[in-house]
Amino acid sequence: MRRRPGIGGLQTAAAARDQYRQLGENVAKLRADMMKEQLSTFRSQLEDFARKHKKDISKNPAFRSQFHEMCAKVGVDPLASNKGFWAELLGIGDFYYEIGVQIVDICLSTRPHNGGLISLQELCTLLRQRRKSDREAVSEDDCLRAISKLKILGSGFEVITVGKKKLVRSVPTELNKDHNEILELAQAQGYATVDEVERRLSWTSGRAVDALDTLLDEGLAMIDDGHRDGRRRYWFPCVSPISSSLTTDA
Amino acid sequence: MQKLGDFKLPHFFNYPPYFTLQPVRDTREKQIQLWKELILDYCRTQKIFVIGLEEDFPLFSNSVIERSLSHEARQAFISALVSDGRAEWLDKGHRKCLILWHRIQDWADIILHFVKNNGLEDSVMTVEEIRSGVESRGTELEGIDRTILMRALKLLEQKGKLAIFKGSSTDDEGIKFSV
Repeated sequence: MRRRPGIGGLQTAAAARDQYRQLGENVAKLRADMMKEQLSTFRSQLEDFARKHKKDISKNPAFRSQFHEMCAKVGVDPLASNKGFWAELLGIGDFYYEIGVQIVDICLSTRPHNGGLISLQELCTLLRQRRKSDREAVSEDDCLRAISKLKILGSGFEVITVGKKKLVRSVPTELNKDHNEILELAQAQGYATVDEVERRLSWTSGRAVDALDTLLDEGLAMIDDGHRDGRRRYWFPCVSPISSSLTTDA
Repeated sequence: MQKLGDFKLPHFFNYPPYFTLQPVRDTREKQIQLWKELILDYCRTQKIFVIGLEEDFPLFSNSVIERSLSHEARQAFISALVSDGRAEWLDKGHRKCLILWHRIQDWADIILHFVKNNGLEDSVMTVEEIRSGVESRGTELEGIDRTILMRALKLLEQKGKLAIFKGSSTDDEGIKFSV
């Protein structure tokens, strides 16, 4: 005979549900506690590590880059805030803050030459020149990190990749695919001609002239009519920095 | 770094497009600015007072990169100096130009300084003595261009600091200081 549901049955079911819930909560709490414990262990280990290797982190760019990578993997951003233990412990926030300011300064002061596009390599060289008073080497990785922090300011600092080179853009100019291809082509010699662009990229003459003229208008290119062959050359200071056009530099 | 004698040339001097007058305004302004500084700097250190646009001037060509400035470009750079008051055309055809790395007013101040330093406040000197006398040796006045010197002296004369008179025995002009 089928039992009809009664008060007793309902109560039993409710009690069972309650117990299940309690058990679930317990398990979840246990897990959370364990997680918290693991995290705090990990955190203290990371702190210990950072404390122990503070010197290496601030002196050795390669080590610093690996430390950042490790932090990124576990979701810790030592640069997220200038307060808190990372900054206090390592002074690392100040380090990047300082580089960031210097990068902005370099980008602005070289803008008349290069139209606001500078190769990461040149930026790094200029940065090192500026910081020669302190011994800490600054790597390209550090530059990239500092620039990524500058994005927060919405000032349009961006790193673009052209061919094998990384360029840092400090003006809001949008470069399209055509412009990028020309910059890539120009990397070999520092300049490009209309002929070359047509031939190497199989473009029509109009397309090549159009793209080159845009780059010229944006201040990213300079013309050179002085060569013996009479062909106009378009030079790009961002891929062939003026300061290194002579190899025997003082 | 490339050098002209003992003069250190700036980096842009080896970058070919700087020898072509740039069509885009912002770029051209920067280019002209750099050239103005270079020309003034070079003339100051080498004591050059006059540039002839059609003559060989060391800055107008760079054999290392095989580039030289077109006449148009030379004209543009020097004209920019003229409008800054740092140069003056010597002829209507704009072929020769006086380079004023010190403005005439500054030259006048240098002369006054020179007079005071040497206790010449009430003395008489010839123009040639100012340019090549013992007192001026090693000062900025040594070998100063005569045109510039006369302009500065005339400015001082207007201010009543001196009188210019024609000498009786020589054909050089004499200066009576009354500082």
